[in-house]
Amino acid sequence: MATRTISPSRGPAKTSGRDRAERRLALRMTAPSLVIMALVAAVPIGYAIWLSLNQYSVRTAGLSRFVGLENYINALASQEWWAAFGQTLLFAGLSVSLELILGTAMALLLNLAFKGRAVLRTVVLLPYAIITVVSAITWQTMFQPNMGLVTNVLSMLGLPGGDVVWLGEHGYAMAVIVMADVWKTTPFAALIILAGLQVISAETYEAAELDGASKWQTFVNITLPLLRPAIVLAAIFRTMDALRVFDLPFVLTRGANGTESMSMLAYTQLRENRLVGEGSALSILTFLTVMVVSVIYVRFAGGNIRDVAKEEQ
Amino acid sequence: MDLNRPALPLQNKTARNRKALAATAVAAALLLSACGGGAVPQGAEQAAVADPASGANASGAVNICGVKDASGIYKGTAEAFTKANGKVTAKYTEIGATTDEARTQIVQRLEGKSTECDLFLTDVIWTSEFASQGWLLEQTKLVEANKDRLIPSTVETTKYQDKYWASPFFTNAGLIYYQKDKVAKPESWQQLYAEAAKAPGNGYVYQGKQYEGLTVNFLEMLYSVGGEVLDDQGNVKIDSQETRDVLDFMTEGLKNGSADRAVLTYNEDPARLAYESGDFGYQRNWPHVYRLLNATPLASSFGVAPLPAWEGGKASGVLGGWNLAISAHSTNQAGAVAFIDFATTPDWQKHVAMDYSQAPVNEAAYSDPAVLEKMPFATELLASVKGAKPRPISPVYPQISQAIYKNVYAVLSGTASTEEAVQKMAEEITAAKASF
Repeated sequence: MATRTISPSRGPAKTSGRDRAERRLALRMTAPSLVIMALVAAVPIGYAIWLSLNQYSVRTAGLSRFVGLENYINALASQEWWAAFGQTLLFAGLSVSLELILGTAMALLLNLAFKGRAVLRTVVLLPYAIITVVSAITWQTMFQPNMGLVTNVLSMLGLPGGDVVWLGEHGYAMAVIVMADVWKTTPFAALIILAGLQVISAETYEAAELDGASKWQTFVNITLPLLRPAIVLAAIFRTMDALRVFDLPFVLTRGANGTESMSMLAYTQLRENRLVGEGSALSILTFLTVMVVSVIYVRFAGGNIRDVAKEEQ
Repeated sequence: MDLNRPALPLQNKTARNRKALAATAVAAALLLSACGGGAVPQGAEQAAVADPASGANASGAVNICGVKDASGIYKGTAEAFTKANGKVTAKYTEIGATTDEARTQIVQRLEGKSTECDLFLTDVIWTSEFASQGWLLEQTKLVEANKDRLIPSTVETTKYQDKYWASPFFTNAGLIYYQKDKVAKPESWQQLYAEAAKAPGNGYVYQGKQYEGLTVNFLEMLYSVGGEVLDDQGNVKIDSQETRDVLDFMTEGLKNGSADRAVLTYNEDPARLAYESGDFGYQRNWPHVYRLLNATPLASSFGVAPLPAWEGGKASGVLGGWNLAISAHSTNQAGAVAFIDFATTPDWQKHVAMDYSQAPVNEAAYSDPAVLEKMPFATELLASVKGAKPRPISPVYPQISQAIYKNVYAVLSGTASTEEAVQKMAEEITAAKASF
């Protein structure tokens, strides 16, 4: 959605005969992929909604009974759901804000002209190329008490934290998970913001310089506002991802110490407990949360994307 | 939908695509439920029965599926069987890197009536669930025919509704490894904890992470006090003074330094590695650790003991281990029976101990001189195995275990009081039972 608003406008909407013919052709050509999209996206989502309205028997595999919204009511009445909901929001809020701040800084750095910039850009992206589960295991090893790298270095330097059981304490466990996520996905945010940075024309900066603006003024009054669409885009992507977080808490803590995410809760019900109806309801609730948050983004922050796009024309 | 396809992204840790891994739970829900939805109702009552005599005239190929073969025992047994039998060829297929993943994969195949695997290596705690779904071939006759070669407590792990659904292959019971130069052999939990608290290097490490292993560590202590989760009729009995005593005891141990606080992040391997650093006095772990410890500088200074008793009580561990279950959809049931016959022979059970450091299900193996040479702690191990009890027997065991480890963890990590945890445990276990 956001990408489309960012792209150059489609020009005046005059509908000539040729236009109509072209549109029909376009429709015909995209029809197959639309059908496929409907099959792979709409059908399964519809099926999940249907499953979430049923109660599946663990006693007799496959036997189900229509229960309406009961699974949802039970989920919304449960402490587990609200704990997971709060924890996921906390995780998303912390990690996305850190990623945007660091990502912007990183993008500004990478935008400078210096020798070896191309190499650095590739290197910076490395954490993002690592499979999340693998990086989660690496972080777990680093924060292992007694022999982990972090705890050892901290104790060696005599700093506090050397005797903290990072993944075994409330607060600290979430901090490590946020750090792991920030480490991994800041490059992704940086990349999007860098792209935004590069479309700002040099003339704008030249004009600012002529007007005698300081570096800081240029940054606050020119760079940041013009970067807003890119930052919002990065925020949308990252927030949606963060709200679905599964592998980091799964590997690092198994959901202990206030780190169980919504996806993990759904996983446990579906996979470990084979409660298909309850699990599907939790999945749909997760899906709705992600959707509501992205709609809010597009409505409020997304408005800026449109404004800026218009201003740029 | 093709049910024999490889793992769903969410479960497959080796998936190369990050996006696939981060895919929404919705997607996983869909795929999974699409598989579960179509199964025809079938319960344990209507299951077919394995014919013990059929093994003799078996032929063809048998595919055994299970967890990653770390010690080589599964592949080794399959090869030895193929060589010894001559008519049936056996092959071992790894379908999961960890126990959890293997269970997911097995459930998927069983729900989808896959004929890929004739035999499944099943964790002792899966029997009730699988049997209750009508996924397994009943093995009562086979087990009764082999009963005289099997340790009774191991046979108990294959029981559901008075029938047997698998044959034990090798068993497992917790052991205490201790540093002979620092601490005394533990006679009671109280003594172990007191010794561990005496000096900084004496500490005790166990598996205290929020997962199945914590349930086991907790139950080992609970059983030794005489507490229980479910009684013989299946009533919830966890809300008891015994449970409170154990929770308080474990919490106190973490506070006074008997047990290192790091155990809150340990499963089997980190506990072993921490112990190998030499900074601890006691470790609770499984028998396979013996072989690994022998390859470390601690080789000459450690001893092995069965799990201690509660002061004034009787020691009682929790049984682990792996069973051989025949898939209800196997196309070579006779071959599977022949394989089980071979795997449980007293002769092969000796190899289970000597070649792979696993606990045999045949009692005679433990006193065999060749076994004792390779496994000097066989006597202690047998004591642990014979004294051990199965974990709560229920088709909703996974939920019961979650109720236990989540609440025990909450107490140990200091986020819940003993009282709150006991009540929540009882409530959640009752709710879990009601979901079946």
